[in-house]
Amino acid sequence: MKHKHFYSHLIQSTDITLEIAELDIQKQERVNLLSLFEVNIHASVVSAVLDELSPEDKKIFLKHLSEGNHKKLWQHLNQKIKNANRKIENTIKRVKKELLEDIQEAKKLKKKSKSF
Amino acid sequence: MPNKSSRSYVHLKKLWTKKHEDLQKELFTKHKDAFDWLESNSKQLIVGSAAGLYLLTSPILSEIPHTFEAAAQTVPFDKKVFLIYDLKNVLPSEVRPLNLEEEQKVMEVLDRTFGMSVKAEMSGIRLNTQYGFIGQEQHLARFPGDNIYSHFDTPEDQQRYLKYGMAPGLSAWRYFADSKETMTKEDSDREKYYIAVQTFLAPGFNENRSRYVEFFKYRKMLVVNPENGKAMIVDVADAGPAEWTGKHLGGSPEVMSYLERYDGSQKGPVLYFFIDDPENKLKLGPISL
Repeated sequence: MKHKHFYSHLIQSTDITLEIAELDIQKQERVNLLSLFEVNIHASVVSAVLDELSPEDKKIFLKHLSEGNHKKLWQHLNQKIKNANRKIENTIKRVKKELLEDIQEAKKLKKKSKSF
Repeated sequence: MPNKSSRSYVHLKKLWTKKHEDLQKELFTKHKDAFDWLESNSKQLIVGSAAGLYLLTSPILSEIPHTFEAAAQTVPFDKKVFLIYDLKNVLPSEVRPLNLEEEQKVMEVLDRTFGMSVKAEMSGIRLNTQYGFIGQEQHLARFPGDNIYSHFDTPEDQQRYLKYGMAPGLSAWRYFADSKETMTKEDSDREKYYIAVQTFLAPGFNENRSRYVEFFKYRKMLVVNPENGKAMIVDVADAGPAEWTGKHLGGSPEVMSYLERYDGSQKGPVLYFFIDDPENKLKLGPISL
């Protein structure tokens, strides 16, 4: 089965889902936050990849990305970026950590508001 | 359900929207030439199902939640994550038959997730449980003469599933087809994606044996591993396992492999519900979410 994003196999989002689920929010709000999580990861990954590529290679990457051709996209990245897999994985980890910290902060806000 | 958005939601939404806007701005400024090139060549490119580009250029972020619905149709989320979480909230901590309230909640989650009508009871018949431990079954002979060396469609399947061997006896309803020549894809799939359920423990079985046997024959069911969200449309093609085994149903090698369920000390539970599919429209096999 084809993955949704070319880096889907590198992302584990269950912990984020469960953290968000622990917030006392409506179901649609949960979905909205997950969508924001997804787009932040996506933009960060694409940005990290583009930073590593030459002007011509960027075009090839964007072409494969726009066509959803993950196989060619990975062939291209593996040729042009050393340890592409690991670099993308590190980017995802970094952004995820940051977003998880944001959730922790948001939980503290909730506690503060309850104490009033 | 709260009517007003909570403080934590508003805070996170604002924060993450701003983060994404900043990222977008930086991305398009820093790599302007590449995006300009993409835009001017987009007619020549096959820009279609690519969620990859859509998510980058989407203006949905500042509009959430107003335009979210439309965006969600284009970019589906990982429904498995929702399914796992929703089931976690509904299922009891121990593996046991669900009470009516739990059963109803689980059916709502499954209906909503898979877009099909699942039932714990049909035609007045229900199984002894809908939540139980699944064990490993063997391959079943599909037609007279079928054996472990003629059983597989591809060499890959043979390599993967040969080790499970053939059951020494026939299925509860004997062969799936009269011969290899007359066997249809549906017959073959019925064996490939079969489960064995404890028909003999269904309430009322002993009093209505022939009606129950007819009802269960190749009855379509939805089986879900609640721990990983993997789901499959299967059929009932055998009776078992015995009560003393501590297991509640059995799965063919293909079913067990897909659901990532194992026998023995590693055994785990699944949910299994009848599917109401009177026109036989739903195909047996794995369901993609």
